[in-house]
Amino acid sequence: MSSRIERAVRKVNEAAPGRAGGVPQWQLSAEIPFGGSHVARLRLDNGLTLLLLVDRSAPVVAYYTWFRVGSRHERPGKTGLAHLFEHLMFNETEDLAAGEFDRKLEESGAETNAATWLDWTFYHEALPKDRLGLAIRLESSRMSRLVLREPQVASEKEVVANERRYRVEDDVDGAASELLYRTAFTVHPYHWPTIGWMDDIAGFTPEDCEAFYRTYYAPNNAILVVVGDVDEADVLRKVGAAYGGIPAATIPEEDTRPEPAQTEDRQATLVKPTASERVSIAWHGPALGDADHPALTVLNEILMGGRASRLYRSFVVERELVTDLRGWPSTFRDPGIYEIGFTARPGKTKDDILPLLDEALARAREELVTDEELARAKARLELGLLGSLDTAAGKAEQIGFNEIVLGDPAAGFRRLEVYRRITRGEIRTAARRYLSRPRTVVHVIPERGGA
Amino acid sequence: MTARLDVLGAPCFVEAAHAIPLVGVVVSIRTGSQHDPEGMDGLARVMLRMLRRGCAGYDAQRLEERIDVLGSELGMVASASTLTLHGRVIKPNAAAFCDLLASMLGAPTFTDEEVGRLLRETAAELTEARDSDPALAHIAFRRAVFGGEHPFGRGSSGRISTVARIDADAVRAFHRAHVLRSNVVLGFSGDVTEAEAGALSHRILGALADGPHPPDAILPPPVARGRRLVFVDKPARTQTQILCGGLGTHPHDPDHVALAAGTAIFGGTFTSRLMKEVRSKRGWSYGASARVAIERARHAFTMGTFPAATDAAACLALEIDLLERWVRGGVTPREVAFIKKFLTRSHAFDVDTPSKRLHEALDVELLHLPATYHSGYLDHVRGITKDAVDQAVTTRISTDDLTIVVVGTARDILDAVKAAVPALASTEVLPFDRD
Repeated sequence: MSSRIERAVRKVNEAAPGRAGGVPQWQLSAEIPFGGSHVARLRLDNGLTLLLLVDRSAPVVAYYTWFRVGSRHERPGKTGLAHLFEHLMFNETEDLAAGEFDRKLEESGAETNAATWLDWTFYHEALPKDRLGLAIRLESSRMSRLVLREPQVASEKEVVANERRYRVEDDVDGAASELLYRTAFTVHPYHWPTIGWMDDIAGFTPEDCEAFYRTYYAPNNAILVVVGDVDEADVLRKVGAAYGGIPAATIPEEDTRPEPAQTEDRQATLVKPTASERVSIAWHGPALGDADHPALTVLNEILMGGRASRLYRSFVVERELVTDLRGWPSTFRDPGIYEIGFTARPGKTKDDILPLLDEALARAREELVTDEELARAKARLELGLLGSLDTAAGKAEQIGFNEIVLGDPAAGFRRLEVYRRITRGEIRTAARRYLSRPRTVVHVIPERGGA
Repeated sequence: MTARLDVLGAPCFVEAAHAIPLVGVVVSIRTGSQHDPEGMDGLARVMLRMLRRGCAGYDAQRLEERIDVLGSELGMVASASTLTLHGRVIKPNAAAFCDLLASMLGAPTFTDEEVGRLLRETAAELTEARDSDPALAHIAFRRAVFGGEHPFGRGSSGRISTVARIDADAVRAFHRAHVLRSNVVLGFSGDVTEAEAGALSHRILGALADGPHPPDAILPPPVARGRRLVFVDKPARTQTQILCGGLGTHPHDPDHVALAAGTAIFGGTFTSRLMKEVRSKRGWSYGASARVAIERARHAFTMGTFPAATDAAACLALEIDLLERWVRGGVTPREVAFIKKFLTRSHAFDVDTPSKRLHEALDVELLHLPATYHSGYLDHVRGITKDAVDQAVTTRISTDDLTIVVVGTARDILDAVKAAVPALASTEVLPFDRD
């Protein structure tokens, strides 16, 4: 007996005259368990991937378009180009005047936005379910018919420069984060910020944008994720009709150099008008898909996940050394960093805190965590995953992110299984492997007289 | 449809949906910074935060561990009118989680040691918050629009000087006076039935004392007269934060929905007038928006941008010009037709999760909104006309009584900013690290 999606594919393909007539055909490659449902992975002739999850819990649909392009695909002198597109893509297309993209979506009650990071870019709409066709029309139009002229590029460069002032120049944490990555990575493109260096932003030309667009914005470099109260055959028909005629592009082979092992400690300092010292520390860490990543994630949860965690209790509550303490194993496609950051209480300094932090990390390397700590960390991670699946948009983001970084839309659930099996010994091993390495420390110092 | 139960005299709202095995729990107390004693701004919030710093059977650390072990999470929000605990727990542990909430609410320990610890933590957080320019702008705006006496002006976090006056006795007294069964509203959402919610409510409410609670203390705010500039001076700013506005709307105003629609036309969408002129045409600011806030009394109308320091004066002049044209010139029929479509169709996302549907019901109860505020929303929006919007904007939004807050470096841009405001009545320059 065939599934609903198999029947939908057959119905849509049979209703079309066939490939000889130039009408696109769908291929169903997998139905992947996702919680209590299934995500269908389909492919159109031109290489476009569609991930479809029917979810009738609300009369809405989430429409995500992920592109396999992020700041890692840029080159020195042209940093920030991937992010600039996050802005340019809301402008004029050959069939839509400037401003019409947003106007049509807002008129339909849709929410729309976009995000860019090191490995990817995505655009999304959340719409009432009867407006799905509009998202398909608009997204397919801007995938191939975007207009990139001087006025649009100049205006959006100015907006991005303002965004950079907001997120980096005048933001203490943003500036520290940028310096941390710049110092921790020397060769790999994770070295430069996704928003780009200010001089690079100022220098972009329409020709730069056109070349980038023609290279990376193509159906064979994109993944559509559709989650919501939809009819499978209707989605396939509409997506096939809108995208089927867009030709595939030749996506260049990636030319990324792996980051060499860090063999020495690195330090960098920032002076800012702040009352509190801040410190960010990075060790080179695993890629999201590496076998060590789940153990490092659980370790991070034990050390800094929530108020009961080991370091929060010690540094925020008992010793009153910091107001804020956070840790994060990066979730990148290539090996990234394990990052810890803290804000010192007024009057406390890096030198008061760092030796104690090193003691705590040495303990994580030498001693096993307790069963209770492990159980709490696993419960928190499970709750976090379930909580992210509350809305159609939440599911679509999970599916798209895991597909583009790991090639598996349900990787979140598989990861949960791995968390459940992780042992105390594996966590200690992860601490020994990653927290013994040379590290990068960024120190933010209050400007004298500034606070 | 959100169900309403009455349990031990307290309203309990239930929004069931069984797709994900999680239960959302909300406990709201009808008090907030409105009841902070004079000179002790921040007390209500400190009391709320102290609820998770120890209770019968658990010291602060054991309590946090218990939250994690149960597969739950807990957040707390303090406002002028409400103190809220909102949690989420995996379905099998819902009863145990509610027992923990019952102990926190009904039998907190409030030890001197923990109160002292939290007060020091709060003071450090207030200092750290000065690193955030948007936060500096909002604090200055709130104080300037509502004044230092009104609860909306004081804010719920308090100041370093007022938090320093709080002690454990004050925390205990606030708890005794306000955390009472008759003063609580409960809500449950997600994988829970009405019968289960009723039983869970009993577990929480049964732990609380009962008795009379203090009356509502939120009075209508005063009007800040004239065009007033408050400049928050902070060194080395390459960018500014600009907020302009004054008093806005009350949920019971007959023109409330019309004013909200008019504000959306002016600055509530990506294609609004403000966004089009400031960001799309000129690229001056990453964000440009206007909104009216909703509370138990008339709250603020605010428009905000964050241009580069070099563009701040020109951007502010443009904003004031746009505001005057909106108030005096009205909106167009096309704009009204557009915003009605936007508001009615986007309503699907106001109610697409059980948690959001629950919060609509809680809003009506806690903010004393008209009974049909949310349930009749679509009809209210469909009934809006251009004349109603124009009338509402003219009636409620003053261009003469305008508070303008700028966070920037005074040495670089103060004179230009002052020159950008016609008929400016007063200027106050405040150091950014003022209490």
